[in-house]
Amino acid sequence: MFTLENFLFLLQGVPNTLAISFLSFALGFALGIPTAIVKQFSPYGLGYVADAYISVMRGIPVLVIMLLFHFGMAGIIPLFKSAFLSATFALGLRSGAFQSQIFRGAINAVGRQQMMAATSLGMSRWQAFRHVILPQAFIVALPGLGSEIALLIKDSSYAFVLGVLELTKYSDIVRKATRSFLYPYLIAAILYIIITFPVANYLDRLGSRLKTKYGLR
Amino acid sequence: MGEVVLACEGLKKRYGDLWVLKGIDFEIERGQTKVIIGPSGSGKSTFLRLMGLLEPPTEGKIYFEGKDVYNSGLDLNMLRAKIGFVFQEPSLFRHLTALGNVKLGPKVVLKMKDDEAERKAMEALKTVKLEEWAHHYPAQLSGGQQQRVGIARALAMDPDIILFDEPTASLDIELTWEVIDVMKDLARRGVTMLVVTHELGFAKEVADEILFMDDGRIIESGPPEELLKNPKTPRAREFLRRLIGGV
Repeated sequence: MFTLENFLFLLQGVPNTLAISFLSFALGFALGIPTAIVKQFSPYGLGYVADAYISVMRGIPVLVIMLLFHFGMAGIIPLFKSAFLSATFALGLRSGAFQSQIFRGAINAVGRQQMMAATSLGMSRWQAFRHVILPQAFIVALPGLGSEIALLIKDSSYAFVLGVLELTKYSDIVRKATRSFLYPYLIAAILYIIITFPVANYLDRLGSRLKTKYGLR
Repeated sequence: MGEVVLACEGLKKRYGDLWVLKGIDFEIERGQTKVIIGPSGSGKSTFLRLMGLLEPPTEGKIYFEGKDVYNSGLDLNMLRAKIGFVFQEPSLFRHLTALGNVKLGPKVVLKMKDDEAERKAMEALKTVKLEEWAHHYPAQLSGGQQQRVGIARALAMDPDIILFDEPTASLDIELTWEVIDVMKDLARRGVTMLVVTHELGFAKEVADEILFMDDGRIIESGPPEELLKNPKTPRAREFLRRLIGGV
């Protein structure tokens, strides 16, 4: 029997799901913008480093990265003794690569004419980027970032494999305890939707609103 | 003879296999207004971008106040700050208000304090008669207003010269007038201007010289009354006949 009590128990997984998702998003943001900039300007010919990072992260399943960190590298990097941190860093690293692609697209969408106008005022490339390109690119990137958060919330469920007590792990515990095979996972599924929808939808709508206000495409 | 602000010698530009500019000599003195006309594809815009230091020449030299721009270790960004540029395409920073657009250069490039930059920007907006629109975003402004903000943005840098690349080419006729009126006003105030335009009224009223470009060269130049009435080259004659006759 699946009871209200089971449901409340299952809810205890939500905080960790949120923590993994948002921390890895923040990490991905912190990595994504510099990666996009390095790829755009290739300072000291470092563009290929950004390319390599993106290719590697695109090529490895995030679950494998998690396993590699937690079980394979905990001896070298003590941080990865924590299953929670291994999962968060794995998702964050991948998200950095994905977010850099989102920003790259957004930077290109802002257009060369804006860069040219900034240059004509005597701005350096960096000043133009910082004051003209990036603020607009950020607005263009909002819907993409919304999708990325949704992806992270869902993929945080892989942390279950490392034993992190997040929503999926809790639903599995409830399944074992109650022998109810449908409800624990069904409720978890609904909870994922409830968490994901408002965040992604908000960024989507904010993006469209700001794009209209500023006349961005 | 006034001081030569901007000049070039044997200026050539190639894109791939295509020579867009085939050797241009040019100079403009402080306080002068010169107008460039010519068919599309004649290299007018390329010439202007090169003079605005937005692209390097393939061959030839550009001089700013007598100094060879690309061969004397000068800071290009510092020079660009002294050369205003008004583009044909909408070029306002879309995430900033009219005021924000005009004050960004003084703040970021000239390192003015915020209130100082703002005063400077409002003054420039007043010159183009848009002080009441200071807090509107580009998307809320007409094409003509946007171009006037673009002019104010250039003015706020106290440039030694402003280059205009067909600033009214994408505007309706009435919006064209409001922009042209502002430009005439600037010319009369003694702002040094190099203008690509086909607004011959503007050229007639304020230009010191008209340059006719064709196929990457300046093939004819002279004071407006002379060049517009009695063009010497057949190309200029044909071009003006069509431009004026509308045929």
